Amino acid sequence: MNLTVNGVSRAVQSAPLTSLLDVLREELGVTSPKAGCEQGGCGACTVLVGGEPQRACLTPVGAIDGAEVTTVEGLGPPEELSPVQQAFTHHYAAQCGFCTAGMLLAAEAYIERGGTDDREAIQEALSGHVCRCTGYVKIIDAVAAAARGDSFDLTTTAPGAGMTNLGGVS
Amino acid sequence: MTQATEVLLPASPDEAVAQFGDGAGVTVVGGGTIVVPELTYGRLEPAKAMLLTNAGLDTLAREGDTITLGAGLPVQRLTELAEDVQALAECALNVADYEIRCQGTVGGNVCAKPGQDAPRGDLQGPFLALDATARSAGADGEQTEPFEEFLAHREGRLLLDLRFERPAASAFSALTYPHTHTYTAIAVSGVRSASGEKRLAVTGSAGHGVRLRGAEGDADDPGAAALRDVELADDALASAWYRERALPVLVRRTLSMLEEST
Amino acid sequence: MKAVGARLPRYDGIEHVTGRTTYVDDVRVPGTLWTKALRSPLHSATFSGLDTSKAEAMPGVRAVISAADVPLLEYGHLSALGIPADEPLLAKDEVRYKGQPIALVAAEDEETAMAAVEAIGVDFEEREPLLDIRRAWDEDAPKIHQWGNWYPHFEGEMDCRQIRKGSIDEAFEQADTIVQGVYRPAAIEHVPLETQVALVVPEANGRLTIYSCTQALYFSMGVVAAHLQLPLNKLKVVGGTVGGGFGGKVDTATETMCSLLAQKSGRPVKWRWTREEEFLCSSTRAPWHMEVADAVTSDGWILGRKMLTLHDSGAYARFSPYGLTKHSFHHTGAYTIPNLHFDGYVVFTNRVPTTAMRGFGVTSVSFATETHLSRIADVLGLDPYEVRLKNANRIGDTSPNRIVYTDPSTVPVVKALADGMDVTLAPEYAAMGPGQREGDLLPEHLVSQLADPEAH
Repeated sequence: MNLTVNGVSRAVQSAPLTSLLDVLREELGVTSPKAGCEQGGCGACTVLVGGEPQRACLTPVGAIDGAEVTTVEGLGPPEELSPVQQAFTHHYAAQCGFCTAGMLLAAEAYIERGGTDDREAIQEALSGHVCRCTGYVKIIDAVAAAARGDSFDLTTTAPGAGMTNLGGVS
Repeated sequence: MTQATEVLLPASPDEAVAQFGDGAGVTVVGGGTIVVPELTYGRLEPAKAMLLTNAGLDTLAREGDTITLGAGLPVQRLTELAEDVQALAECALNVADYEIRCQGTVGGNVCAKPGQDAPRGDLQGPFLALDATARSAGADGEQTEPFEEFLAHREGRLLLDLRFERPAASAFSALTYPHTHTYTAIAVSGVRSASGEKRLAVTGSAGHGVRLRGAEGDADDPGAAALRDVELADDALASAWYRERALPVLVRRTLSMLEEST
Repeated sequence: MKAVGARLPRYDGIEHVTGRTTYVDDVRVPGTLWTKALRSPLHSATFSGLDTSKAEAMPGVRAVISAADVPLLEYGHLSALGIPADEPLLAKDEVRYKGQPIALVAAEDEETAMAAVEAIGVDFEEREPLLDIRRAWDEDAPKIHQWGNWYPHFEGEMDCRQIRKGSIDEAFEQADTIVQGVYRPAAIEHVPLETQVALVVPEANGRLTIYSCTQALYFSMGVVAAHLQLPLNKLKVVGGTVGGGFGGKVDTATETMCSLLAQKSGRPVKWRWTREEEFLCSSTRAPWHMEVADAVTSDGWILGRKMLTLHDSGAYARFSPYGLTKHSFHHTGAYTIPNLHFDGYVVFTNRVPTTAMRGFGVTSVSFATETHLSRIADVLGLDPYEVRLKNANRIGDTSPNRIVYTDPSTVPVVKALADGMDVTLAPEYAAMGPGQREGDLLPEHLVSQLADPEAH
């Protein structure tokens, strides 16, 4: 079997019923998608298959032979972060970071299909993704900012700039 | 375990039927959302697994007032039927989250066995209320029958498509928790057909979804009649006691929504 | 002070958004073995005839360990803090909670490890479990721990944490009403998104490199060294990258077990818990049972508190005595109560041992106290903000264990709450601050508990 992962063609030796998550992590050494539950309940394993967000832990690799798979490594390197990656960084949308890869790809796909900064729509689109650290507010802030096309200066250390209103979701 | 399983990858509906044969020893995988965790955790060790992703069963066809849905249609696409059958679209949107809905299939949803500790098959409700027709393959060849009958003996059958007539009105009421990943504890679907026939169905009762014929026929106390139509059970989601109290409410709600829509 | 108020970049921010953060399970060492555990299916049982021979003989299995393989079987995480050891790393001849690990297998792949676990033979004799902490004192309750059904090793070999302050009898005599309540928060599972995991890589000279998700790296080093009877210089521990812990990864034992498997097999060994294991077998926040009786005056002063706390430690002590101690120090919450009679017990049950979770020991009593304050206001027909503001901690007040408050925040917080809820306080309450008590805020019963905040 064969997959194109982040633009690179990779041969796959694993058995066809092996989950895409195991193929990526164990066979191909792509470790950004995480094994949070291996039941599709947490979203930490989400990758893009043909541009669509999908749970890698639920996908038998045999079903997607030949597909294009995008993981977070394919969004952008540190020197050239994509808009969602910049937004997450600027808005402190990651704490332990374990859910971040899945969140980023779900957000990326949401914006690609025309998603706006409407907070309810963002919540609905990302509702398959569990975060135990942040309480979600900053994640939604970040996705809304990226959807709006906000630009960020990640070098700034200006006091108070851009901090979320502690009074709640605006 | 899964290393030893023979994997079938049909590239057309005909191939799927042929490879399914009489279904002996074949585990059908629609999107994978239900079956793959069972494989991962070693609870399922199939002799053969048939992956339907590329079998061309993901069709949605309209011919006049007749709508036909391929068994491989992703659940998310049922939202395209919001104008035709509101209950079906609402029920679909109630299932898990966007990613699961894009991967999970109509066939996988309605054919799934009850879960370990929670009911499955939310979509059975609307299809029962629609009095849909099921086309399936297996031993004894291809069969077309009322969905209600298919549901009762679906094991060993490969569902191909579901066909129904666009109703005059439909409604869906569910008992849910206000967060995602919830399985629906109990839900009622209702349809008023083009000819004026009223049909109700419930999911979340013991076993699989059923029609609420008593409730359909009882104008005075459909809620109480519905309780006589079903067998309710305890599970991790809710007790039979709780479901007993919810069902009449959901029935009355569904009926009043049907009345309100023109 | 350039950092305060500034937007500082997270040191791991860029790593997180580019998928480069390396969690334990992302560390890839060629030849790493997969681990699975045989766990007790019963709440309480003795067992015999543990037979790992079939598992060991299976192709692809590289090591199997059980209690006999552990150089020092029992070692307490908090031995250094005076809490003696009571828990075996692996069960020896009895199990005291469902999910307790009995034996572990390291194999070439996950499927083989799972099959090998199934091939381990063991005979259980089920016992009646104790699952309700209130039953621990019953004559006919099963005795489930070698120390009895509750922890007996507080200082002076006391079997409970006691706080005595002032005279509770006088308080009860002087009270206009006694307000009672029982509060029973349930266990809470941490649900870190990263399940518990460890990877241990052995070197030829006997040193072990341990990749661990522990939140308490220096504790864990000591625990591994003790169980394995190795000097610390034989351990190199790589930690600090945790996919969520919240207190649930302070009592990890995966690294110790993987170390033993690595020693026995001579191969790198990884054990990553499934989400099911995490839910069913990992330690939780403890359930609590708290009985509160406050002696109050009809104008809303709390003269005294009599309280009994039962803390459900699960099958073993772990950190529970420490958690209960903190709980006792804070059992009056954000309020000053001069006469106290507190007894707290760490009670054993046949449940998964409980552990820390954010606000360990204190969230329970905060919940109980706040609910109880509202109950007092309700019983007395008084305003709930006013009752809180009167009894609020102030500068110079002393805590249950006589710590003098130098900057308590109760008053500003209650006032901010009122503001946030659009509640207008009566002028005398709106004017209140956290300063030292005087005048109407210093009734007779609060005089003796005052202390000099400067002297602290």
